[in-house]
Amino acid sequence: MTESTTLQVGQTVPDFSLTTYEPTTKGFGEFKLSEAQKNGKWTMLFFYPADYTFV
Amino acid sequence: MGCEIVTVSADTHFVHLAWQREEKDLAEVKFAMGSDRNGDLAKQFGVWNGGFCLRGTYLIAPDGKLMNAEVNFLNLGRNIDETMRKFKANIYLGKKPNEGCPSKWKDDGDRTLTPGPEMVGRVHDA
Repeated sequence: MTESTTLQVGQTVPDFSLTTYEPTTKGFGEFKLSEAQKNGKWTMLFFYPADYTFV
Repeated sequence: MGCEIVTVSADTHFVHLAWQREEKDLAEVKFAMGSDRNGDLAKQFGVWNGGFCLRGTYLIAPDGKLMNAEVNFLNLGRNIDETMRKFKANIYLGKKPNEGCPSKWKDDGDRTLTPGPEMVGRVHDA
């Protein structure tokens, strides 16, 4: 993916999904943006370099 | 709070599990920990840095619009108070689209600005 396709503030984020670990249930799951939207929810994405480092 | 919080790194969900289980600071974690193994999502947001995700924070409205973006380099942590301030401001502005939250706005009830002709050149008095 090239620089020119990087998302900018004000643009619509295309749907995506991620495999997740869910600490509340101690199980694995999936996060899907369109599901959050369906429930009228905001989504905060919090990227960080790697586990076992400071946040 | 009406917001799904998802943390994202290139680690697998298995490593997320191990880390959360071990690290005492993460014992109370409630948010989902997402795995972006190949950086596909990080690349879309422009935070893929040679196999690692930069410290990017993004707020997406319920209609899918990207409302906030903040990126720190690998070695600088984020201030959660500022993240929360921006989140609350966005929620507020979602309800009051004609107003603006100035830099000192912190929470519901704080003074906002309503741009209009009378404010031009007189922001100091507003």
